[in-house]
Amino acid sequence: MELNPNDIFQLAATIWEATLGIQIEAVSSQPPSSKRRSTAACIQITGAWNGAILLDTPDSVARRAASAMFNTDASKVQVTDLQDAVAELVNMVGGNVKALLPETCYLSLPAVVEGGDYSTRVPGSQVLTRVFFSSEGESVTISIVEKVKPQTAAA
Amino acid sequence: MSQTIAPAPSISRTLIQPFIVAVRDVFHKMAKVEITCEKPHLKEGNHTSYEVCGIIGFSGHVSGSVVVSFSDQAALKLVEAFVGEKIDRNTPDFADAIGELANMIAGGAKQHLGGSASISVPNVVIGKGYQIANMSQVPCLVIPCKSPHGDFAIEVCIKQR
Repeated sequence: MELNPNDIFQLAATIWEATLGIQIEAVSSQPPSSKRRSTAACIQITGAWNGAILLDTPDSVARRAASAMFNTDASKVQVTDLQDAVAELVNMVGGNVKALLPETCYLSLPAVVEGGDYSTRVPGSQVLTRVFFSSEGESVTISIVEKVKPQTAAA
Repeated sequence: MSQTIAPAPSISRTLIQPFIVAVRDVFHKMAKVEITCEKPHLKEGNHTSYEVCGIIGFSGHVSGSVVVSFSDQAALKLVEAFVGEKIDRNTPDFADAIGELANMIAGGAKQHLGGSASISVPNVVIGKGYQIANMSQVPCLVIPCKSPHGDFAIEVCIKQR
């Protein structure tokens, strides 16, 4: 299974533009890691293809997204709003990615984490595609991971 | 020997007891470790109980999520007892083992929950001071668990349809 990073960037660009009114810019490589607070969401895909999509955004981007989605002043956005906004974004990305996958696949509910010092992993998976982009100068990452099939013993 | 604990008010016993049974079974069978569960209580705030968490989603006749949350020390020791060797906290194998433990606990509970419940693939989060989103308007119950290797907790945030 292959997913073109350009396709993933394009669908992210469409979602950002249509939902948040923000134009994103492609970034060629992963920015240096920092201890910034971030909100990450993971949605699982099962069925004809098994894997997950992880969306990692700085809290500033999540705050801007929540403000746009819920029509709220950014200064009044709560952590739960950040989580809901990023959950909705990963759900939209998941829905679009699902359309690129073989039929029939199912999306799980998103799992969302917010904090300043954590890492996430989907056990038993490997990265298939990773896309970096800039949203109003802040770096956002979309990772698509594929479940690794268990090795079968040779006869 | 069975262990029956009265859950906090407003949470259905039938949704909690399967996790108490499952966590004791999993660690007894897979790691030869005896677990004691204390009285469940409602979770206050959104921060996780401990630093190392495995998250499992539920769908079907029960929906929501369950987080198995270990202290660093308990996670290292319990994974060692489960796998049979020490595993570095910063390796994928460690996260895989935490995910597998969470998966077995949720899978065991699913059997006792009956009906058509399905569970997701686990998602593992390791760090400090983070919070995991729960379903709104669904109370989250924390089942404190004690082991000879350290403490951990099961955070149950599911509802029956």
